[in-house]
Amino acid sequence: MRILLAEDDELLGSGIKAGLTQQGFHVDWVRDGVAAERELLAGDHQAVVLDLGLPRQDGMDSLRSARARRIATPVLVLTARDAVTARIEGLDAGADDYLIKPVDLHELAARLRALVRRAHGQTQTRLEAGPVTLDPAAHQVWLDGATVELSGREYDLLQVFMLNAGRVLSREQIEQHLYKWGTEVASNTVEVHIYNLRRKLRGELIETVRGVGYVLRRDAAPAA
Amino acid sequence: MSPSGAALPRSTLSLQARLLATVLGLVGLVWLAVAVATWYDTGHELDELLDAHLAQAASLLVTQRLDELEGDNFPPPPTLHKYQTRVAIQVWHEGRLVVRSTNAPEAPLGFGEAPGLRTSVIDGEAWRVLTTPGREPDVLIHVGELESARHDILLASLRSIAWPMLLALPLLALGIWWAVRGAVRPLRQLGQAVALRRPQALQPLSAHAVPPEVAPLVTALNGLFQRMADLLESERRFTADAAHELRTPIAAIRMQAQVAQGATREPERTQALAATLLGCDRAARLTEQLLQLARLEDEVARGGPVDPAGTVSADLTAAALGLMAELELQAQVRGQSLALLAPGPVHVPMPGALLQVLLRNLTDNALRYSPDGARVQLSLEGPAPGQVAALVVEDGGPGLPPEAMARLGERFFRVLGTGQTGSGLGWSIVQRLARLYGLSVSVDRSPALRGLRVTVIWTDTPPRRY
Repeated sequence: MRILLAEDDELLGSGIKAGLTQQGFHVDWVRDGVAAERELLAGDHQAVVLDLGLPRQDGMDSLRSARARRIATPVLVLTARDAVTARIEGLDAGADDYLIKPVDLHELAARLRALVRRAHGQTQTRLEAGPVTLDPAAHQVWLDGATVELSGREYDLLQVFMLNAGRVLSREQIEQHLYKWGTEVASNTVEVHIYNLRRKLRGELIETVRGVGYVLRRDAAPAA
Repeated sequence: MSPSGAALPRSTLSLQARLLATVLGLVGLVWLAVAVATWYDTGHELDELLDAHLAQAASLLVTQRLDELEGDNFPPPPTLHKYQTRVAIQVWHEGRLVVRSTNAPEAPLGFGEAPGLRTSVIDGEAWRVLTTPGREPDVLIHVGELESARHDILLASLRSIAWPMLLALPLLALGIWWAVRGAVRPLRQLGQAVALRRPQALQPLSAHAVPPEVAPLVTALNGLFQRMADLLESERRFTADAAHELRTPIAAIRMQAQVAQGATREPERTQALAATLLGCDRAARLTEQLLQLARLEDEVARGGPVDPAGTVSADLTAAALGLMAELELQAQVRGQSLALLAPGPVHVPMPGALLQVLLRNLTDNALRYSPDGARVQLSLEGPAPGQVAALVVEDGGPGLPPEAMARLGERFFRVLGTGQTGSGLGWSIVQRLARLYGLSVSVDRSPALRGLRVTVIWTDTPPRRY
């Protein structure tokens, strides 16, 4: 899952980035409010961790501006302002969750997973599509109840497909979801991962839509 | 501080009771004086009137011949008036009492032959006596009246004016009580309005619809409320800033510690632990700064001078040089340059540690809020008329948009107020130091660098304490 982190404090920012990376997220880090707004508008991330007291532009303004342009990316506000009015203002400005510093890494990760899940209309903690089950918290995948071993990239790819089950995704969209900035992506990397996924799961689960992209069938029939 | 507590009157009587007692006491005294004056005046008039009556009675006797008066058949005069019997008559002929009215004593009412009015005491009773010779030269006539009778008349006449006076007094008291009650009602209402307030309610009291006498009190109270509100707001802001400044390094420490905990590779763990230690150092420095400020505030609050001997002094130039060496790297990362213009050592009456805090907050902020490649300049000045020293921190980006320039002070205040600096408590600290050391701090646009300019002046007047 690709996460945008907007935090101006070097020490805290590097900590959150390292911690979330350990938790299996891909983190892009910006250090001021203007960059945060720019990235929010670009919409490449599944969720945003936003500090409010940012240089150049307050995080609250970045958030308001993005929401005014109908950017629906879930935003978790992370701040040291604990006044109730500040919290209310943050939630009203379009924040989906609010955490007061200091935060627990595991709680932050769990809240981000929940935000992403809800943003995709899922209420179950586990994602399900036909015979496949994915548990984002445990980082585990089952096919017909049997554990499937996937590499990190394969897991990320499957999660993108399952969050967007039934929707056709282009190769560019998949790359944006998977790779943080500055990552060199070979032209056939996504194809290779899809090939591997099909091999480890079941061939017909991920269909190729010629000239457009790929789709995970929501109603894939369980194994006979 | 004025000893206002000692100036309070010792009496705890209410205004109403005091006014009532004063007015009634004065009215009572005036009435008493009037009564005494009336007593003497009426007594005098009464004496003259009754003396005339005595003379009239005597003149009737003088016209009679002695033989007409003499004899036992002198009838008692008919009682025509209730006061009449008090008049007594004696007629003496050749030293012998020949005629006397029944109420007259046998002892002579008068001694000697001298005619005229006098007061004599017979058998312990005071008489007013008129003596006159009769028709025959050897006849002497005394007409007398008891002084006590005159006294009774005087008392009776005074009684008639005393009753209305005594009856009017309670009525007057009631009227005064009612009038005073109405007059002090605005005060009572003001008291109730203040008493019913919650401690947080510091909005001003309405100053219209109060009498001119009460208006100064309302104005003074409103001034107090305003000062309290300012103080509360400054405390609230300071607490919020302190919370933010302490929470961020603690959040970083916690996060880095968890990263170290969950690290699977040794370099990752080492890096996270190093960052944890860095965070601890930062939190420790912040805590130290906060404690320093709190101690200063405490000292000022207890009325103790910050620097009683005036011996505390630090070199502004040395402090600025030290800070620049520290911030050089941070500036280089963003291509910013730091410059210092100083005439040589500039001494300011301030502890070196706090001078560092002030310099760091201003400079760090200038670097932080100016764009990449900008220049930040510190200029120092020595003594000049009205100042001990001055510090000017200017930053210059390639021009600020006009709307940002218009909101410069506000932005500066807000951004610093939210404690964005990495090494201090932002604007609150600058403001607090300014207040403690009587510094004048102003913010405007830098004419040379086109960015923000903060001017700090150490004035040569001692800091105001409150």
